[in-house]
Amino acid sequence: MKACKILKKTVGALAAVYAGLFAVYYFDLDGKLLYYVVEPFMIKRFDNMKRRDPLSVPYDQIDKEYM
Amino acid sequence: MKKPDFEKIKNTNFKKLAHDFVYGKPHGERRLGELYIPGTGLYKHREWRGIKDTMYAFNNIWLYNYGMLVKDLVVLGGGPKGLVQFLKGTMRYRWMGQTYLTVMHWVDRNLEGMRGEALRGSAWHFRGIINACLVQITQMFNRDISLGGDPKLWEKTMGHDETLWGGVFYPFRDQMTNIPLQMIPYFVTCHCNNHTVLNYIDAAQALGLPGDPCPMCQAEAGIFLQDDVPDFFKAFVTTNEACDGSVATSVIQDWMINKPLFAMPQPMQFDNEEVLENCAKEIEGAWKFTEEKLGVKFNWDELVKNLESQNELQRFEWEKWDVAANTNSYPINGVAQALYRIFQGQYGDLPIWHEVDAKVRKIMDKCVEEKINTFPMTRHRVIAWSCAPLYYSAWCTWAYNCWGLNTIINMDSLMFDMEIRTDSYENCLMDMARYHEWAPMRRMAVGGLQHIFELWDNMEKFNCDMVMMYDQLKCKGMQGVHGLFEDEFRARNINAIWMPHALPDKRDVSRAEIRDIVNDYMFTVMGEEPLDPSLLEFDDANSW
Ligand code: SF4
Repeated sequence: MKACKILKKTVGALAAVYAGLFAVYYFDLDGKLLYYVVEPFMIKRFDNMKRRDPLSVPYDQIDKEYM
Repeated sequence: MKKPDFEKIKNTNFKKLAHDFVYGKPHGERRLGELYIPGTGLYKHREWRGIKDTMYAFNNIWLYNYGMLVKDLVVLGGGPKGLVQFLKGTMRYRWMGQTYLTVMHWVDRNLEGMRGEALRGSAWHFRGIINACLVQITQMFNRDISLGGDPKLWEKTMGHDETLWGGVFYPFRDQMTNIPLQMIPYFVTCHCNNHTVLNYIDAAQALGLPGDPCPMCQAEAGIFLQDDVPDFFKAFVTTNEACDGSVATSVIQDWMINKPLFAMPQPMQFDNEEVLENCAKEIEGAWKFTEEKLGVKFNWDELVKNLESQNELQRFEWEKWDVAANTNSYPINGVAQALYRIFQGQYGDLPIWHEVDAKVRKIMDKCVEEKINTFPMTRHRVIAWSCAPLYYSAWCTWAYNCWGLNTIINMDSLMFDMEIRTDSYENCLMDMARYHEWAPMRRMAVGGLQHIFELWDNMEKFNCDMVMMYDQLKCKGMQGVHGLFEDEFRARNINAIWMPHALPDKRDVSRAEIRDIVNDYMFTVMGEEPLDPSLLEFDDANSW
C-alpha cells in the first residue's frame, strides 16, 4: 500500500516536471530567460572584463626555421 | 468583465480546430510570422505542429538536445573537472558565454515549419553539429593554460586555422589533438548568436584596419585584439583562408600567437599539376613541423584508418545528393544540409558524423521507399551559390515557409567532392593535396572561373530551376565576377535572386532587407503570391 502511494507520488511528480518542461518549451521561457536576463548579464561582464593588451606582444619572429 | 463573443463562438468550426490540433495547420494557414515577439526573434509561443510533430520537437529535439548537451559536457570534458573548465570558459570568453547558451534557438530557427521526416532528418544534422562543437569546446578548455588547463594535453595539441582541413593531422590522431582556432570562437557563433561577432569586427576596425575587407578576416583578427583567444596549443599551422583577404589576419595572428608557426598556404591557381605537387610538399612540411614541435611520429596506419572512415562519410553524402537530385523525398532542409556538410568536410572525421548518418540513412530510406514528399509545398527547387550569409543561414527555412523556395543544395556542400585514395603513399598525398585545395570558398568562390561556373552543371544535376546567388558585398573575388554571372543568367534564361549580405555582419544588410529583396523578386519577376503572408515582413533586427 505504502509502495503504491510512493509510486503514485513519484509518477505524479515526474508528470508535473514533464508538464513544467513542456510549458518552458512551448512558451519559449528558456529563450526569454536567456534573452532578457542571461545575455545582458554576460554582455556587462564581458564589456567590463580587464583584458591584456595584445598589442604589447613583441612583433618578433620566434621561429625562423619555418619562415 | 468582458462578455463572451457568442457570435465568434457560433462561427467557430470546432471540427477544423480539433483537426488542426491533432495534425497541425496546413501550410497556407500557419501564419508563422505572428509567433514572433517583434524585434527579438523570440516566440510568443513555439509552433504547434500537431500532436505527433510537436511532441517529437519537444521530446526528441528540445529535451533530447538539452540532455545531450549535459551528457556531452560530462563525457567529452572527462568528468567533473571538465565541467569546471567549461564553466570557467563560459565566464571568460565572450564567444562562449554570450553565444552558445542560445544554441537551442539556433536549432529552432532552422527547423521552423518543418514537419514529419524533414523535421527529423534535419534535426539529426544539428545534433551532429552541436556534438562536434562540444568536442572542440571541451578540448579547448581542458587544455587552456590561462584557465588552469592540463599542460600535458597542451603539449600535444596543434592549433590551426579553421580553413585548414583537420584531416592533415590524421597521421597523428593517436598521439595528439588538432583543434581549429576559429571554428568555435568565430564561425559557429555567427549562426548561433550573431551579436557576439560584431564586437570582434569593431575591434579590428578600431585598430585602424579599413572596414571594407571581408568581415570574416576582420572578426578573426578581432578575437586576438580583444584578447579572447584561449591558450590551448603549443604550435600553430596557419593558412590563407579561402583568399588573400585574410593576409592581414595572418599577420596579426602570427604576431599575437607568438608561438612556433607553420604557414601552409592554399594555392591561388590550383588546376595545375606542379601546384598540386607543391601543395603536397606543404603537407609534408606540416607533418615535419608537427613531429618536431609535438614530439609525435607519422603513423601511416592511423592516416589510412581515418581517411577510410572519412571516405565512408563521403560515400553516404553522394547517396544523399542522389536522393536530393532525383526525388522529392530528401528529408533535409537547405540549412541543415549546408552546415553539417561544411563542418564535417572541414573539421574531418568524428564518431558523431557516423552516428548521425546512420540515423539519417534510416529516415531517408523510409522516405524513398514510401515516396514521401518531404517538402510538399515546393514551388521552386533552388541551388544556393557563392559565400553564404552566416547571420542568416536560416533564410532557407523562411524562404520555403513563405514562398515555397526549397533549397536543394548549396555551393558549400559541393566542395569536398572526392574520396581519398589510400592504396599508396603517393596517391594518398596527392589526393590530400587536392582536398586541401578545395577548401571552403576556395574552389567555387575564388578558384577561377571554371570552378565558379560549376554552378551550371550542378543546377542541372540537382534539377534546380532557380539560383539564390549570394552577393557578399565585401568579397572582392565574387564582386569581380558579378557582371559575368548577370550575363550568363540572362543568356541561359535562369531565374536568379541576388542576395546581398556581409557574411557575419548583419549591420550592412539586415535580414529584413534580405527578405524584402526576395519578396520583391517573387512578386514582380515571378508574379507569385506568398504561401504565408505573415512572413513577408516582421521585425527580427535584434534577434540572435
Ligand atoms: S567571403 Fe570572399 S573575401 Fe571572405 S574569405 Fe570568403 S572568398 Fe575570401
